Amino acid sequence: MTISDFKTKGFQSIHWKHIFSLRRVFTLIILILAISQLSAFDRLIRVGVYQNPPKIFVDDHGKPAGIFVDIITEIAQREDWELEWHYGTWEENLRLLAAGELDLMPDMAYDENRAKLYDFHKNAVLLSFSELFSRKDIKIQTYTDLDGLTIALLKNSVQENILEDTISGLGIQCRFLRFDSLDEVFDSVADKRADLAITNIFYGRMNAREHQLVESPLILNPSNLYFASPKGKNQEILQAIDQHIELMKSDPESIYFSSLRHWSPEAQKWELPMWLLITMLLLGVTFGVAIIGSFILRHQVNLRTQELQKANQQMELKVEERTEELGFALREAQVADMLKSAFLANMSHELRTPLNSIIGFTGILLQKLPGELNSEQERMLTIIQNSSRHLLALINDVLDISKIEAEQLELKLSEVNLQASLEKVVSLVSLQAKEKGLDLKLEMKTKNLFIKVDQRRFEQVLLNLLINAIKFTDKGFVRLICKQEGNILRITVQDTGIGIPKDKFDVIFAAFQQIDTGLNRKYEGTGLGLSISQKLIRLMGGDITIESEIDKGTSFHICLPLDQEGHDG
Amino acid sequence: MDKLVLIIEDNSENYYLMRYLLENHGLRVIGAVSGWMGIEMAIYNKPDIILLDIQLPGMDGYSVTRRIRSNPEIKDIPIVAVTSYAMVGDKEHALAAGADGYIEKPINPDSFADEIIYYLNNKRRTDEDPMR
Repeated sequence: MTISDFKTKGFQSIHWKHIFSLRRVFTLIILILAISQLSAFDRLIRVGVYQNPPKIFVDDHGKPAGIFVDIITEIAQREDWELEWHYGTWEENLRLLAAGELDLMPDMAYDENRAKLYDFHKNAVLLSFSELFSRKDIKIQTYTDLDGLTIALLKNSVQENILEDTISGLGIQCRFLRFDSLDEVFDSVADKRADLAITNIFYGRMNAREHQLVESPLILNPSNLYFASPKGKNQEILQAIDQHIELMKSDPESIYFSSLRHWSPEAQKWELPMWLLITMLLLGVTFGVAIIGSFILRHQVNLRTQELQKANQQMELKVEERTEELGFALREAQVADMLKSAFLANMSHELRTPLNSIIGFTGILLQKLPGELNSEQERMLTIIQNSSRHLLALINDVLDISKIEAEQLELKLSEVNLQASLEKVVSLVSLQAKEKGLDLKLEMKTKNLFIKVDQRRFEQVLLNLLINAIKFTDKGFVRLICKQEGNILRITVQDTGIGIPKDKFDVIFAAFQQIDTGLNRKYEGTGLGLSISQKLIRLMGGDITIESEIDKGTSFHICLPLDQEGHDG
Repeated sequence: MDKLVLIIEDNSENYYLMRYLLENHGLRVIGAVSGWMGIEMAIYNKPDIILLDIQLPGMDGYSVTRRIRSNPEIKDIPIVAVTSYAMVGDKEHALAAGADGYIEKPINPDSFADEIIYYLNNKRRTDEDPMR
């Protein structure tokens, strides 16, 4: 139980040298007896310590500290008492006090039940309130808001009785969680086992922020805090304490007030600078007036100062408002952006994992690795394969769009041989064009041109435009025309297809748009291709424009700036 | 070809898929379901290549890669990261951690085994996907 055992300055030191200089053992024994007799006179006072900062607690060095410790240490010094600290929980210390194994228990609120068990002195050390602290997400305005909530509190504390009485009087229901220490009480609210905590204001206000708890407007019975002592013993100790506290309270320089100031860092932080500021302002103004010595000047200066102050205040207010607005908007945007990125990464993963199995095993079956397939099975598996590939294309497109919008897409620019690149793209779609009986041609009106682009993305755009052209053209031709116009490279994908009405030119570049031709099912696609293509080309410093006439055909023009030192001719 | 491939992958369907494709190309395959198990098996079996899922429970693929690279017994085994993250920087992240290559899920069943064989034969680290 007794973890620490500290002797204060009231302790009488033993001079060992003298002891050893005596020869006789008897003398030694007598001396020891005398010393023990002496220290009994000295009054050894056993004081309970428990964790309730800043009133009383054991600090980082393992020593008792706090307002009550400061006060009783001072009194002990004046009275020549020897203090022995007994560290334990509140409960344990109460039991020891009742059993007479402790002489003093600090930080005890007076109530009638306790007065039957313990003696109290008369001059209260502190006035304390009990206050409810909640997590930020719980809004408490009145006691009825507590209905159905769980409240954490210290076992056998004064708050327990007060709160239970208050709540039963209001006819509402609360659940109580009782803990052995205040730290556990606050922890339980922080980790959501309880909704609120009730503690004294000293502990609560000092520790609420650290646990991310906030004060509620609910304050319960104020109570006076004393040192308590076992019933019927130690009357003279309590009287001495009363006298000293009365003396201390009448002296602003006493340890009582310095301790209060020392242990309420918040009050110090919040109040002092305000006073200092006002005092300094007053001093400054007075000083200025004295130096100038001119009432006119003073008047003018004051007027001007007032004007400036007013302007300044208005400016400050405006700046504050704007800063607040901006900060809020920025935080919102940042949170949204973060959520979006996380969502994309997760969705991408979650969707691709099952698709991996579907595409993979369909592929294996179609490769006939596990065995032969009949024609019906092969047809069905091919449908599964196409559908899953389409689904993958959709996922990739959505991911692309999102990446571009989140500015997460990075282009890998390199010098690309234009002719080779265009030929490659045309060869990729030549089969599709042939199947529809379309005349597919590449017309190069420039030679040996190199262009600085992201090759994969550049070819992705061209492929998309060519596939679209083939898709929406039933007869005639599809042409890929490439020419140089000054410093601009112009690539045109021209078809003789169904065409696009003029009022839809803007719409087709928006995401998820496919013009309603009544033939939507025939022209299957993700509806994202054009939107992505335009965004990609714009990222590369160019643009895509459209020219079209219904039933005559469509031309998409890609314009890209040519590098100044590009190889020409 | 009698090369040994260690696949570190917690999803059993994906493991079965990759294993089937690789065994069909004459490779021997062993599997681990977590990063720790994978490192243990790499030290014990000394595989010729490690296929590593990046999103593993517990220790993720990047950490597994770094641990393999810092263990003198297995630091030279080529590692191919297999991931479905597909976000900007995933590939760079994997390569920076010490992977030799990077394959995106869903894998292409027609070319997957050839890609792995490519990495088996070209242990040098490369930035470009060979099959792109």
